[in-house]
Amino acid sequence: MKQEIAIKVVSLNKHFGADDTLVDVIHDANFEVYKGELVALIAPSGAGKTTLLMMLGCVDAPSAGKIWLGEQKVYDNKWITKETRKIRREKIGFIFQAHYLIPFLNIMDNLILLPQTNKVNETEAKQKARELLQYFDIAEKEEAMPSQLSGGQNQRVAIARALMNNPEIILADEPTAALDMSRSTDVVMMLKKIAKEQNVAIIMVTHDDRMLQYCNRVMKIQDKKVVFETSNQ
Amino acid sequence: MIYLAKEDIKHTLGKFIVTAMGVGMLLGIVLIMMGVYRGMIANANVVLNDLNVDLWVVQENTLGPFAEASRIPEDLKYTIKSKEGIDKSEAITFQNLQLPIAGSHLGVMAIGYDVYGDINPINPNRLIAGRILNNNHYEIVVSDKTQYKLNDKIKLGRNFYTVVGITHGTVTSGGDPLVYISLQDAKELQFTYSNKRIQTDRARGIVNKDSHLVNAVIATLKPGYDADKVAADIRHWQHKSVYTKAQQEYVLTKFVVEKASKQIGLFTVILVGVSTIIIALIIYTMTLEKMKEISIMKLIGLPNSIIIRMIIEETLLLGFLAFVFGNIFSHLIYSKFPKNVLLEIQDAWLLFGIVILMSTIASFIGVKKVINADPSAAVGG
Repeated sequence: MKQEIAIKVVSLNKHFGADDTLVDVIHDANFEVYKGELVALIAPSGAGKTTLLMMLGCVDAPSAGKIWLGEQKVYDNKWITKETRKIRREKIGFIFQAHYLIPFLNIMDNLILLPQTNKVNETEAKQKARELLQYFDIAEKEEAMPSQLSGGQNQRVAIARALMNNPEIILADEPTAALDMSRSTDVVMMLKKIAKEQNVAIIMVTHDDRMLQYCNRVMKIQDKKVVFETSNQ
Repeated sequence: MIYLAKEDIKHTLGKFIVTAMGVGMLLGIVLIMMGVYRGMIANANVVLNDLNVDLWVVQENTLGPFAEASRIPEDLKYTIKSKEGIDKSEAITFQNLQLPIAGSHLGVMAIGYDVYGDINPINPNRLIAGRILNNNHYEIVVSDKTQYKLNDKIKLGRNFYTVVGITHGTVTSGGDPLVYISLQDAKELQFTYSNKRIQTDRARGIVNKDSHLVNAVIATLKPGYDADKVAADIRHWQHKSVYTKAQQEYVLTKFVVEKASKQIGLFTVILVGVSTIIIALIIYTMTLEKMKEISIMKLIGLPNSIIIRMIIEETLLLGFLAFVFGNIFSHLIYSKFPKNVLLEIQDAWLLFGIVILMSTIASFIGVKKVINADPSAAVGG
């Protein structure tokens, strides 16, 4: 079966500074990430993992190259559209090291904030949020504030939030960094399940080698090049 | 639709209310300052309005008793009365006295008038107890601010005066209470020297004489006469300075109240500036506290407009609540001030406009922070 491309990158370059102070971070990256797979992104600290993630997330502009998200070309040596935030809002879900839920919104409002911005009907958004909370086994917490939930529960809410806009891509920046081994495994297994069931491409930055076994592929930044290390499945 | 400002304020309601109360107290002081200014203007006009005369005749080349010393002969009132167009004419004195009160003294201004004359400076609407003066000697009508009661005895000069009437709202431009005594008593208090002074003067060959000096002669016009023309005529023939009611009002506001009102105005402007800076700093701090959340909201794709709306709504609500608290605060404390504080609705509306304007300006600092917030700051812990 032909795999659907979620992310396509061609000749992607990123450098900081200029002339004598020029620092090359990513050089001539070419890769594809498919829908339904969980890809780990590993590299030593400072090698450019977050930079790559931010470029794929349409947050930071590359220095050169081309990026497609699904069928849509979003970058061709410049942003194709000025509305990069709209692309993020509609196509991408983000998961962070900490949950980073909005502390003054309850769980339900945290989940429906983005869909409401996307003009999704409130009832429909709430229905979707309840399904996700059910899926993550925290259905009874919809009225709770983030401060009333445990770290693991909040991280699950954060993952649910990333799914609320039916994204094609989820970019996860060390989502297990603050969790113990058991919970880390749970979260990664959950992400893998989501990738498969929701047909979403997930790129997960991790420093934890033990999590790599659960990922479909491992992407590595090595000497400024992006290479795929191995394929588990 | 989720109202971020509402939810954020709900989350930190206590802090928000206390902050608004703090700013409100500052705005309350601004309102009080405005009230003090209004009070001064109103006070300055109490005597003028209560007397309601058309002309003030005073010593030549002086601005009259409210601005500087003026002494003219009492009998000038007969000359003035004989002028064409004059209806009534009376002599009047103004002098500062210290009333003894419970071991201390209270500064007052005493108005001396002819008890049997045609012009009575006591506005009957202001008389809240007792009566006006009936006798030419040793009676006094006092303002309720002096705390004296009817039939109290007050020692002034060599004699005791009986309180026969109490007025309300009778004050000078400086806020000192007014008292009323007969012209005879006023002249005695103002121009009769002590026994020791008379003794010393005699030793130096100075003969003490009865004084018939007053501070001003006031007059009303017959219907149909122009105050400016009659005033010009008196100026020409009597070598006196003459002011119409409007001119006397100008003297009061221009020369007597102006400096004080400018000072208060400057204080008010500074306080408004300080309030703006404080609101801006509060909003800046509130925004800084939310920078992580703002970065996340920007990263996940929320448009700036939604986040900016939250900042502006919070600032405006803070300003509005502070304005409400400021009004409550000023109404609670204004009567405790020793001078007249006149809180007027138009001043409250003016301050409301200023508060909304300054809140909007203050919100720019938060809005700038939002616009400059880096969404990638949300990533990487």
